[in-house]
Amino acid sequence: MRYALMAAGLLAGTVAAHAHAMLEHASPGAGATLAQPPKAVVLEYTEALEPSFSSVIVNDANGHDVTAGPSSASGSTMRVPLKPLGPGTYRVIWHAVSVDTHRTEGAFSFAVSQ
Amino acid sequence: MYSRKAQIRALVGAIIVMGATPASAHGIVGARFFPATITSDDPFAADELALPTVTAFNHETDYDVDYSKTIFPGFAISLGIGYADAHPPGGPDATGFTNLSVTPALELWRSEEHEAIVTAGFIWDVGGTGARAVADRASTYTPEILFGKGLGDLPDSMALLRPLAVTGQLGFAIPGAQDTSRSFQWAGAVEYSLLYLQNNVRDQGLPPFVAHLTPIVEFSFSTPTDAGGGFTTGTINPGLIWSGQYTQVAVEAVIPANRASGNAVGVIAQLHFYIDDIFPHSLGRPIFGGKP
Repeated sequence: MRYALMAAGLLAGTVAAHAHAMLEHASPGAGATLAQPPKAVVLEYTEALEPSFSSVIVNDANGHDVTAGPSSASGSTMRVPLKPLGPGTYRVIWHAVSVDTHRTEGAFSFAVSQ
Repeated sequence: MYSRKAQIRALVGAIIVMGATPASAHGIVGARFFPATITSDDPFAADELALPTVTAFNHETDYDVDYSKTIFPGFAISLGIGYADAHPPGGPDATGFTNLSVTPALELWRSEEHEAIVTAGFIWDVGGTGARAVADRASTYTPEILFGKGLGDLPDSMALLRPLAVTGQLGFAIPGAQDTSRSFQWAGAVEYSLLYLQNNVRDQGLPPFVAHLTPIVEFSFSTPTDAGGGFTTGTINPGLIWSGQYTQVAVEAVIPANRASGNAVGVIAQLHFYIDDIFPHSLGRPIFGGKP
């Protein structure tokens, strides 16, 4: 059993692999309240993304799109520019496909206070 | 009336089955990542390997290996086998390989929006494949329903509860042996994902290692349904799961739920590999219908 475990550990550690792209960092962060409105939403993932199948949108509390253009992905980072935002709560909804076609998704809110 | 020996064998069998059946799959539904549970099955058909699962409980140590392979998307077959080393007080030692278990699982329904999934499974504990000292000669067949539900659709006023998720396993074990009672198997887990909290609810600035932890309480019970079949037995298992990109590590206490289930707290630990992430283009793909 010990040798099997060692072999499995070596296997996992040495094989060049890809995995699900999990969100590693977001700016603004989930649940953040900002004094100054952000100009973009930037999402960083644990894996490189497939740009054609990855996207992020941002809606205001009424469900209206507040992005200033299409989202883009490069490497493991996805971003979308925003229109000038007023005070309120905004919802970020993202879909990511890693380069090995694993799919993940998520959503979170942030607020602008003034 | 079932013999005392048959009751003990049923109890040991239930513990082995509950602890060693293929911990089916880590899985994602919508925004929810469910780590693989270790003392109950979870409702995902995926490519994964649990190597090993080590359980020390009731004067017995078990070493188990489980491998799950997707045949086509949403359908997987799991194989499990173990080695039991039992030293019951006042009784003879019993060691040897446990029976092979074969578990096909088919995902029946899933809702990405509501982070919900329902799966049907069928555990075949193949009688006679293990050592006579620790394994039944007759097979046991357990049709089961498994489910998972994340609470990410709770309203904003309950946002801090959104990282909660539950999984469940309801099965009916039908033993081939005449002297063993049929039994209702009920198990599940309540878990709180710090990763979900961090990414979908409120960024708490948690260090990466901490953000990948999932505090969890699993439970696993067996209730005999035939007259004279004995008492309900089971355990409650609080612990922690750390989930990485390719592996997860889990450690849980094994607390007997009543006197019939045991007298002392045990422990279970598992190292788990996400084969679909380690080998996304070969071994980790379904045999039929997988994406190129």
